[in-house]
Amino acid sequence: MPQLTPQNDGSRRRAARVLGVLAALLLIVAGAMALGKRDTVGDTDRFGTPSSTLPSSATTSTGGTALTEDLPDDEPGGIPANEHSLLAEVARTGGPQPVHLRIDSLGISAPIVPTGVDQATGLMEVPANVDEVAWYRYGPEPGQAGSSVLAAHVDLAGEGPGVFFELREIKPGDRIVVEFDDGTEQRFTVEARTTYLKDELPVEAVFRRQGMPVLTLITCGGAFDDSARRYDSNVVVYAVPSEPTTR
Amino acid sequence: MRIVKTALLAMALAIVPATAALAQTAEGEVIVVHGVPDLAVDIYVNGDLTFENSEFGDVFGPLSLPEGSYDIEIYATGADPSSEDPALSGSADLPAGAVATIAAYLQEGGTPTLGVFVENNSSTGAGDARITARHLADFGAVDVLANDAAVWEGVTNGAGADTDVPADTYNIKITAAGDPATVAYDQDLALAEGTNTIAYAIGSVSGGSFQVVAAALSGLATAPEGVPTGDAGLIQQNGLMVPAAIAVLAIVALGGSLFLTREQR
Repeated sequence: MPQLTPQNDGSRRRAARVLGVLAALLLIVAGAMALGKRDTVGDTDRFGTPSSTLPSSATTSTGGTALTEDLPDDEPGGIPANEHSLLAEVARTGGPQPVHLRIDSLGISAPIVPTGVDQATGLMEVPANVDEVAWYRYGPEPGQAGSSVLAAHVDLAGEGPGVFFELREIKPGDRIVVEFDDGTEQRFTVEARTTYLKDELPVEAVFRRQGMPVLTLITCGGAFDDSARRYDSNVVVYAVPSEPTTR
Repeated sequence: MRIVKTALLAMALAIVPATAALAQTAEGEVIVVHGVPDLAVDIYVNGDLTFENSEFGDVFGPLSLPEGSYDIEIYATGADPSSEDPALSGSADLPAGAVATIAAYLQEGGTPTLGVFVENNSSTGAGDARITARHLADFGAVDVLANDAAVWEGVTNGAGADTDVPADTYNIKITAAGDPATVAYDQDLALAEGTNTIAYAIGSVSGGSFQVVAAALSGLATAPEGVPTGDAGLIQQNGLMVPAAIAVLAIVALGGSLFLTREQR
């Protein structure tokens, strides 16, 4: 161990004492600021944050399949009559539903809940529970054609950091696992992370329903407007299926 | 010859911006509805046998077709178009990007006819579904109720309307106008997001053949306007960053203090 040349012991002792006190004060200040922030109770729905839990009726009842999906585009020659029972079709007929998200590199393991649109704001519905991840149920399931959107809070007034608080730290190559209600899972590999000003979020692309399967994770980030209680950006992570979909 | 079949050509056009390719080929979409009871028919489009031996209640489409004018002829099944007259005939213009329903149906009183209706294929709002109701049955004016609230009142034969609602399952009732006790239809209907569910009331109430059949125009969805996922500012500059920086300073100071304390031993 290196030995420093002894100097004035008295001044060293004073310096040590001063630094120790300073450290204690700084920790108190830092803790108070952090706690103060978290305890700030804003109105959580001013910016489109759902003010209540999702209606239970909104989960599985609305995904009726288009009656005409199976009809060939080439018309003539005896297309079978469309025997829709669309009228009676109530239950969603889609594939397995995503129920859990794991991102080991960030220590994230959280339940997924299906959501839709907040009719009051026109924004995607994100549950007020900061420990849950919202899946935009009108879009594709993770791994299916199009962009499957999973969104979660970076934070929420009165609740503290959210499940995606660390999302801005994710790196290309990180592994993401989505578990489904039939016991299967689909792995994804992070391709890119980017930040868009909220006004510039490419919603048509982010919520697209066709094309290459992409898992899109979204949270808030960027600069925070204290008076508006709003982040100015969205952090968006794109991931692609790691291996051929087995489902 | 009183042969009637229903042909509904509804053309729903390209639904989403993503279907620009479809629009480029200048196509429209057609739905064909057979709403004349007790009649099996062959449906010819521009002289070609397109739907063979269609039965009452059949709904075909939406089918993508090039824009243009289409002649529709409906014959009793097996009839020879070269030697027999059609039971019903008509024509429909299909503009690019449009959706048309062509329906053979009963007018009030029971006379078969052929009608063409343009369907609403504009985008639905984020999270919304659209429902269209068409009264193509041998029956008087009706009221349509969703979850027991009147949506349309006094809809008469040949008329229809559409409206957008949040996607969900609704109880839909069709009653005689102003007579909620006379219920012709009562069913729970799942209205899918981004889809125009078109319900056709066909047949004859007095004849016991009344029913509701449906077609769906999908792909009308609009994306949400944004994703609200934070309002506490914990990662803002004045949020956690400053406390974190102060904490780092504190750790440095503490470390220095310990270092100095130990060194003096």
